[in-house]
Amino acid sequence: MLKQCRAVLERELFYMWRDKSLRHILLIGPLLGLLLFAGVYSYQRIGNIPTGIVDLDNSSASRQVVEELKNSQNLQVAAYFDSFAQLKESIKRGEVIVGVVIPDNFGKNVALHRQTRVAVVIDGMNMAYATNASSAILTVTRTFGAQVGIQTLIAQGIQANQAQEAYQSIAFPEEAWFNPTLNYAYFTVLGFALNVWQQCLTLAACMTIIGENGLRSWLQIKTSGISSAVLFFCKSLVHIAVFMLIVFPLYYLAFVVFKLPLACGWLNLLSFTLIFIIALHSLGTMMSSISRNAVDASRYGMIIALPAFVISGYTWPLEAMPQWVQHAAWFLPQTWFFQGLNYLTFKNPGWGFMSHYYLALGLMAVLFYSVAALRLMVENFLPKGGLM
Amino acid sequence: MEPVIKVNNLVQKIGRKPLLQGITFEVMAGECLGIFGTRGAGKTSLIHILAGVDRFSSGQITIYGHNIRKTEKFKRDIGLVTQANSLFRDMTVVENLDFIAALKKAPKANVLEMIERFNLKEFLSKPAAALDIGALQRLSLACAMLNRPKLLLVDEIMKDIDLPSRNLILSELEQFSAGGGTCVSAISTLTICDYIDKVAWLEGGTITLYDLQEAQAEWDRQEKYYAEQSGRCHA
Repeated sequence: MLKQCRAVLERELFYMWRDKSLRHILLIGPLLGLLLFAGVYSYQRIGNIPTGIVDLDNSSASRQVVEELKNSQNLQVAAYFDSFAQLKESIKRGEVIVGVVIPDNFGKNVALHRQTRVAVVIDGMNMAYATNASSAILTVTRTFGAQVGIQTLIAQGIQANQAQEAYQSIAFPEEAWFNPTLNYAYFTVLGFALNVWQQCLTLAACMTIIGENGLRSWLQIKTSGISSAVLFFCKSLVHIAVFMLIVFPLYYLAFVVFKLPLACGWLNLLSFTLIFIIALHSLGTMMSSISRNAVDASRYGMIIALPAFVISGYTWPLEAMPQWVQHAAWFLPQTWFFQGLNYLTFKNPGWGFMSHYYLALGLMAVLFYSVAALRLMVENFLPKGGLM
Repeated sequence: MEPVIKVNNLVQKIGRKPLLQGITFEVMAGECLGIFGTRGAGKTSLIHILAGVDRFSSGQITIYGHNIRKTEKFKRDIGLVTQANSLFRDMTVVENLDFIAALKKAPKANVLEMIERFNLKEFLSKPAAALDIGALQRLSLACAMLNRPKLLLVDEIMKDIDLPSRNLILSELEQFSAGGGTCVSAISTLTICDYIDKVAWLEGGTITLYDLQEAQAEWDRQEKYYAEQSGRCHA
């Protein structure tokens, strides 16, 4: 049996290496994904958001607002307009993302301590841009609003320090944990690259069984008397080892070269990745066992791999999805992996917490491999055409 | 003497369509049975059932005393040559031989012997998919014989092949029979089948057994009859 096993292992390895397209997909795909995403998110946060200003007042107070906007960390005053219509047109053309309209009599109203309104419009077409713009503008308006409020209190005869204390009596200092600078690269690069990797893995795993029994050479294997269990066990070993090897350079680049956060240490990360690979391979093997041919298997693989990342809760919280999507998502190994990965890399919450993730992935592997084995057994015991 | 193959009331259905309708026959050691029939008669299905590749609807088959539904032990003594190329297309000739030898737990010496016997030296590094039909059938038979089988199951091995390959294969089959080997060979013509002792004529899901001369005479009779019926020949 050892000789048979070795022959199957060698053949599978050579097959994966010799198949140029498979080799390129597996080796280059995830790495290219990582490099691409690292490049895309190299600025780490969105800055220099183009801002247009309509100053209808042109007073010292309005110029002070403009100055505050200019000094803002993430806003860049890109244009001044004479009217709201011009600003609207510019936002439509995508030249500016944020528009600030300072009305007539702004300075006068501020001086008379009357309530006044500065209109701020944000282009909501691109959510990432809009969220960042909103946050940047909020910082400016909050600061400016406080300054005006303090000045108003001083004008009413309150001491400067008292006025300042009145405005700062309740402080809400913000502090982002685990990703203090709210770095986009930390959050997205690894997830997106591993999404490419898991898609390649799913597609390759979907060929485990149909890649053998869908070919005429299956007759040679069946006649040889080698048991299906030995054959597919050996094939699976190679797949799992290759999938694991592929992730090493990806992790090296991510954590060593790009210095993404790795709170849990290498051993935890690799063991968690291994259990995920086994679970994902089992899912692919199960899909392979129910496929009638290789094309069907690829389709099933795509159906699983493509939406898996989106519904995993990595980019959009699971809790914000409909209940039925949440239930479906937890049946996919990808959900457990991407959720667990975030916890491990950012927080390292410890074995007590992570053991649920390991257990879920392990149970999935047992379940999916069992279904695949059952399906193979049924196929073996039914006469040809019996499943038609 | 116990027969090598014992087929009793074998029924095979593809979907709902009956293909083999309760066929019964035996093959004794050292005998070569030709399964003769036209295209779609069920020759390949029968060969695949005997090789333990396809399951069957009902009936009983024993090979070397093993009920083939219950065990795969009989597979260590058989060799199969399929009608369509079933070798590993992504592998070269020598890789096919090595891999199949490993699957069949055959020693490396057998690989070297088969390369010699089937004149495969010049093709060793060629992909199996790139071989011409003659070399491919030689390789297929070589792979089937790697485990030194006692029973050979061959499916239309002579069809469309070149003369040197045909003679080499014929000589090997004759040697195999002379050495006491048992053989079942699917054929669609009654020419180039001197190695066959008995013919199982498969038609309409049932078989009729003939010796080779009787089968050839029956073929001639039917050919003449249908020629007359069609008005093509007025002999």
